[in-house]
Order: sequence, then C-alpha cells, then structure tokens
Amino acid sequence: MAAPSESSASPPARPPNEPGRSLKQLVLGRRDVQDLSDNEQELPSELMTVNMGPSHPAMHGTVRIVLTVDGERVVASDVQPGYLHRCFEKESEYATYTQVFPYTDRLNYVSPMINNVGWAMAVEKLMGLTGKIPRRAEYVRVIVSEMSRITDHLTCVGASAMELGAFTPFLYLLKCREWLYELLEKVSGARLTHSYVRIGGVSKDLTPGFDADLTLCLDQIAKVMVEVENLLNNNKIFRDRMAGIGALSKDDAIATGCVGPIARAAGVDYDVRKDYPYSIYPEVEFDVPVGTTGDCYDRYLVRVEELKQSIRILRQCLVQIPDGPVMVDDPRVALPAKQATYNTIESMIRHFKHIFDGIKVPAGEAYAFVEGGNGELGFYVVADGTGRPYKAYVRSPSFVHLSTASQLIHGHLIADIVPIFGMINMIGGECDK
Amino acid sequence: MSTDSVTLTIDGMSVTVPKGTNVLEAARTLGIDISAFCYHAGLPVVAQCRQCLVSVEKNPKLQPSCQQTCGDGMVVHTTDPQSTLARKQQLEFTLLNHPIDCPICDKAGECTLQRLYFAHDNEDSRVDVPKVHKAKVVDLGPTIVLDQERCILCSRCIRTCDVVAGQHQLEFAHRGDHEVLTTAPGEQLDNPYSLNTVDVCPVGALTAKDFRFTMRAWELEATPSVCNGCATGCNIEIHHKHGRAWRLVPRHNPDVNKYWMCDEGRLTYHPLREHRLAGATVDGLPAGWDRAIRAAADHLAPMLAGSRQAVGVVLSAEASNEDNFALGRLAKAWGVTSVHVAARPDVPGRADGRLRVADVNPNRRGVQLIAEALGLGARPVAELSPDVRCLVMLGAELPGVAPARVAELELIAITPFERAAAASAKIALPAAAWAEAAGTVTSAAGLVQRMHAAFPPPGQALPAWEAIVRLASICAPATASGADKLGFTHARDVFKDMTQTVPAWSALTWAREARPLALRFAGSRG
Repeated sequence: MAAPSESSASPPARPPNEPGRSLKQLVLGRRDVQDLSDNEQELPSELMTVNMGPSHPAMHGTVRIVLTVDGERVVASDVQPGYLHRCFEKESEYATYTQVFPYTDRLNYVSPMINNVGWAMAVEKLMGLTGKIPRRAEYVRVIVSEMSRITDHLTCVGASAMELGAFTPFLYLLKCREWLYELLEKVSGARLTHSYVRIGGVSKDLTPGFDADLTLCLDQIAKVMVEVENLLNNNKIFRDRMAGIGALSKDDAIATGCVGPIARAAGVDYDVRKDYPYSIYPEVEFDVPVGTTGDCYDRYLVRVEELKQSIRILRQCLVQIPDGPVMVDDPRVALPAKQATYNTIESMIRHFKHIFDGIKVPAGEAYAFVEGGNGELGFYVVADGTGRPYKAYVRSPSFVHLSTASQLIHGHLIADIVPIFGMINMIGGECDK
Repeated sequence: MSTDSVTLTIDGMSVTVPKGTNVLEAARTLGIDISAFCYHAGLPVVAQCRQCLVSVEKNPKLQPSCQQTCGDGMVVHTTDPQSTLARKQQLEFTLLNHPIDCPICDKAGECTLQRLYFAHDNEDSRVDVPKVHKAKVVDLGPTIVLDQERCILCSRCIRTCDVVAGQHQLEFAHRGDHEVLTTAPGEQLDNPYSLNTVDVCPVGALTAKDFRFTMRAWELEATPSVCNGCATGCNIEIHHKHGRAWRLVPRHNPDVNKYWMCDEGRLTYHPLREHRLAGATVDGLPAGWDRAIRAAADHLAPMLAGSRQAVGVVLSAEASNEDNFALGRLAKAWGVTSVHVAARPDVPGRADGRLRVADVNPNRRGVQLIAEALGLGARPVAELSPDVRCLVMLGAELPGVAPARVAELELIAITPFERAAAASAKIALPAAAWAEAAGTVTSAAGLVQRMHAAFPPPGQALPAWEAIVRLASICAPATASGADKLGFTHARDVFKDMTQTVPAWSALTWAREARPLALRFAGSRG
C-alpha cells in the first residue's frame, strides 16, 4: 500500500500489517487519540527552543530571550540584551561634559531627570562643586527627580497591569504620567528628553505658577492611585499572576547586585536617598517601603508605595523651596547671561569656550550615584583636564537586574515571563547603554 | 653641578635648565604654562605684553618671565596672589577695547586670548564706556587682511617678518589706545613668508585671505605630514575635514623648518582638488581597475618578451620613496634598461637661503638614492631614447620631453592627476596624492620624513605603490621568479624592503600611523 503523505508531527509509520491499527489509521497513516496508550497521550516531553523577542510587546524595549521550554515551563533561558546599544559611554568621550546630558536622557527614558542629576553630580564632584549648588537648584533637582520617579513607577505599574489584561489602570496611569510630562515640558521645553539639569544647577528656573500646577497634579494622581489600587490590589487575576511569581530572596538580591524596588521588595532596606543622602533629601521626610517575599506582587506594592512617598516629598519641597538662583555662581561652569554675552567680550569668550571647548574639568576621577527609578544609578567619570570626558561609565541598574532575569523566570510558565519582566522594569536604553 | 646649567625652583618644584634659558621656558618643562601673548620660542624676546609676570623672590617687582633669565638658586612663584592678580588685570586691560567678534572671527576656537582669559581671568566686564574703534578690514598685501580692533599689539608679526623673512614690513603707529599695527612706510606685507604672521597672531587680527571664512578652526582635524612644495621638506600639519584639506600649517621641527614655512608651500593643498583622476581609464574611456591592469599587461607583454628596448620606466621626483621604490623594483624585475626620472625644473629665483630652495621637487634626493641602490642607472626623462615606444610613468608630467614626442609615446601613467602628459595616457591608473597616502619623502638634506594619510583619495584611486603591485601581479616579469611579483600589502612592507636595499636608510624604522587630532579638544593651538 502506498504510504500517504505524512505531516512531520505524526508518529513514525509502522509496518502496515501490524495488528491493533484502526481503519482510519490504515487510511490516514495516523492513529486516533483513543487508540493511544495513557503514556502516549501525554504531550511529547522533548524540550523545545522558543525565541521571545527582540521585537515582542512585552519585551520592554528590545531584548531577546532564547527559551528552552518543557511544554509551557521554562527550563533554561538565554537573555540577550544589546539591541538598543547606542555607545553611550564611547559617545560621551567625543562630547563636551554638557553635551552628555542629552545622552543621559536616553538612558532611562521614563525618568530622564534623575539621569541628568546623576551625571551632573559626578562632574560636580570632579570640580569640587558638591555642596556648593544653590539651595533652590537642589530643590528644583529633587522636585524634577521625584516627578520622574513617579512617571517611572506609573509606567512600570501601568504597563505590567496592561500586559496581564488590566487595561483600565494602564489608561488611568498613563494619563497621570502625561500630566507630569506636560509639567516637565513646561519647565524644560521637552516632553520626554528634558536635558534640563546643568553642571552647577539647572538650565532655567521653574515656571511661574509651577507649584499650583504640581499640587493640582499630585492631588489628581493621589485620587487615581486609590482607584488603581482598588482595581488591582485584591484583583484575583492580578494577584494570581503576581504573587509568588519570580521571587528573589534577600541574599540573592544582594549577591546579584540588585538595587531599588527589586531589592527592597526582597527585604533589602537600601535606598541611596537614605543611606548615602545627597542634595536636600535629608531635609524632607519620607519612608522607604521594604517587602518581604521578593515576588512580583511585592515589587508592585513597593513601587506603589514609593510613588506615594514621592508625592509626599514633592509636597514638602513645594513648601520648603527657597528663592534664589538656580545656577552656581562660578564662571567655570555657569554660562553668562545672554545680555552680557552679546554686549561684553568677556562674557562672549566665556560663552564660546563653554559651548565649543566645554567646561574644563580638572583631571581626576569620580563616581557619583543617585536613587534612580530602578535603583542606584551611578556615573563614573575620568577627566583629563580637557572639555570632554576621558572615560565615562554608567552603572545602570537595569543591566544588573536583567542579569537576574534568567534566574527569576526559571521554572515558571512562559506567560509568567511577562509579569516578571514587567516588574524587573528593564529599560532598554539604560540596560543597553 | 656643571657650569652650563642652572637649577632654580618654580612653584616649589626644582628644575635644572641650560644656562641662558628664560623662566617661562623653564616653567614649561615643569608643565606650568605661564600665560603669554608676545613671547614666541622662535622669535626675539621683547616683553611687550606683560602677561607673563611672575614674582621672583628677593625682587620687589614682578618680572616678565620671558625676559627673566634663569639664575642658580632662583625661587619663582607663578601662583602667588600678586602674580595671579597681575595676570587677571593684564587680561582685563587687554580685553578693554577688544571687539565682540568671536562669532565671526576666524581665530575663534584657536585664539590665545580666548584660552588665556578662560584659564586665568574669567571675570565679568567692568567697562561702562564705549570701546575705541579702529579699522576693521585693512588690506596689508596679497595674502593678509588685518583687523586693527582685534590686534592686541604683541608685535609677534613684526618680529616674524624681521626674523623669518628678513624684511621689516610691519610697524606700529600712534600711541596709547590709538596705537595700531600697519605696514611700514612704502611697504606692503608681501614677503614669501607672510602667512606665518597669521599663525603667530594670538588673536584674529591677521587672517589669511586663503583661509578666512572657509572653515571654523575648531571643526578641523590635524594630521602630521611633510610639505611637498619643494626639496626642503618643511614639517606640516594638514588641517582637514569632510575629506579635504582646508589649510596647511607648519609643525615644529628644529632641524628643518623650526616653526615656519613659506606661503607657496601653504597653498600646495589646492592642487589636491584639481584635475584629479578618480577612476582608471583605457584609451581615454573609463575602465575598472581590473580591466585597466589587464589592458596594461596585454600591451606590455609582447614588448617585455622581446628586447625590452621599446619599454621605458619613469620614476618621479614628486612621488614618495615607497612609490618610486615599488616601480624601481618592477623595472628591475622586467629587466628594463631605459629608466628615467621626471623632475620639475629648478626655479633659481626661489632660493633665498632661508627655507625656500630652487629645487621644487619634494623627493629628488630619494629617487636618486633608490635608483642608485637598485642599480637602475636612471637618467633625466629629457634624455629619453628614440627607441622607446611605451612608457610606464609615475606622476602626471614628463618635463623636458617635447609635446610631439609625448604624443607619439604610449603612456601607462600611474598618476593622481589627469593633466599634462597623463591627460593623453593610453592607460591611466588613479593614484593617491601626497596627502592621501602613508609614505616618506627625502629632503635635499637627505632627511627621510614621514607623511600620514589625512583623508581618503578620490574615487577608486589607490596609493601608487599599490597600483604598481597590481600591475606586477599580472604582468609576469621576464625573470618569472616569485619574488619579483612584489608581494607588498602595506606601505610599511615597501618601506621595509627599501631600508634593506638602500644602504643609507638601513637604520630607519616605520612609525605608527598617526590618528587625526581634533583641534577642538586638543588645545594644541592658540
């Protein structure tokens, strides 16, 4: 009998005269399910390799995971970052210190202000300006940083909920984020890539009426957060998908260098703002939430609580912020006023030198770090006395966190990769530099 | 301690310098850059700008460090309040009437005044009276335009004309804040070294007509090279951007050109963009490299198989040692007896006992040495035998050969330019010009100096030695031994073979390739 054509998935053909074969099988060359033994009815147990990403809606930016799955379960994975590599560190060697700010915007692009502040602090440390930044500038930096932290957490929580099917919180939270972006756009001129901070202060003062705008915005966000928490916290689907998923122990969190919400969810009480206080953080009251289980649900709770603490910090800042300049009075770093630039040769030269040759940073090396949206964000700069960095390095939390991803998704279902990845909150720009 | 050196202390650091050194130079050996406008290491000291004042212990007044000779046991301070203040005040004084020209000034970005103000003063203006205005566009001569407002009266240009060109063509006129630079009575700034005044000018007062308003200085990149304008071999920097040269400036070499070069040499970058051959041609029509090489080989093969009387090879005194050596090797392998040298004729009026010499070929000496070492018996191309029908030539020109004779020759030209004899070549192979390929040239004094490739050659052009290697690889030499195939893969290979062949060059080594230096961050000028 001529063998009918077989699909590659069908079992190997047996000799036609073998007993126990049904008519259908004889005709079609495959067996009915009821003909299979119990053992045979189970899905084939051979491992399969599945490619997730780099272009995948849940792959936050572009990252590729080569998964080895046993059925739905992940038994091994190879996480491959780098698709968003833009040579941040190498590019910085060919830009003046001020020109690096736009590059830092594109590291963690959901909280660019914090990156700006981190870079400025590293260069200021080299120039001996740490602690000499005008108080108003420090307050402005903290205000925009905390606004950025809120946008960061809003994005993370909203996107993760959406990926689990909860679309309403996503729309609510992204609307809140938009209010903040609009405010930041008013202040800096750019909605997303602000490049607002400068070495020695910030580029311009807050807009008139900023505190009223921000207060209104924070009130609304606080209301929205109540609704979102009602929608999510005790939502059965959400809890089932988040609780117990992707747990990281405290020891592992420390061993792998995790920081920020991920480490805090695992019980590591470490927040740069508390442990290595910088700027005016010692002057404001806030609490650092710490989780217990280190799973995705704890990470979610920690982020929501941090968001509320940021609102608390912002409200205090709006009350405490003093009047005064927003740029240090140091001709080495401060651009002269436009009026003076156009009318005196001294200011003209200084302006020219700042823009074209760059701020002259004395030779040396420095590391400065801030609490970014995802944890300790550090910049290491080596200066050679010219207007551009000899070497720049960024300690990006996302890169470190991504290194735990393989461990976190191990043993979980493919579908669980989505909340785990969402709660790692890998930001491609920051991770791939 | 020897009697010809002195030891002094500057800012707490001890330094020993030869007797007669000034304090400013001694400080520079320690890495202390004392600000100065009028001082130039290649010019006489006048202590005119008062910018380099330092305090010397046991001396009640500040001393100009450029004029203060180092004494044994002298203790100098450059960062004490008194001299720091003096520098600041002097800069403020210099800027008093300086126009707000940086955005339109050609010197911006490589300006000494900008650099020193930013490093030593950086204070706001206190002036509340109008500035003194002077003439803005003063034509000083064929090459230079003066802006009297920008001039800070350092007199470097006056001394440059005096010392480098030996002609007193510039002078100060008037007094006080009305003092201006101008040409000396009955003179204009037309000496053959006039453009050096633009280099030494610490501000944008003197600008070269050739360079002004063409390119911003901070955008440029610098690659070290050697001037190909004559046999002196002045060391230069090619300042380039966007794949072309924008100016040539002298590079300090105490043994050759010190800090200077002549105006004619500075303009030799212009021909790099004129009449360039960008692709190989056969019978005047475009052809790819492979087809052109094949055509050349087919054309040469019957002649090389015979008596070889009909084939001549022309080396060029305008091409690098490497290019000439590769072609010399090939001529040797082919067994060609008729080897000639093309060299532009001397310009006797050019020699002035300074930098300019009569021989306008950058490499005549090198070709001579190579031809001697290879035993080629090279003669001037003017003495071309009437038997020769086909010439394999390096470069574009056949000086001394009558046009009628050129017309009847079948030329296989390896040339950067499509002009002169090369324009009528049967087969033309595009070659890189001097600024576009790594190589060496030999000055009249016998100094072998290295040129670096500043930017890529146009179109499909290759370094000439590479074209010769391609020709050798397909045009089987009569001797047919593998070694004659010229297995060079890099200019370094040619150089190595050359140093092993030419006895006078046996000790020479090939330096690393120089990477272009971005002037914006180098701080090397101004």
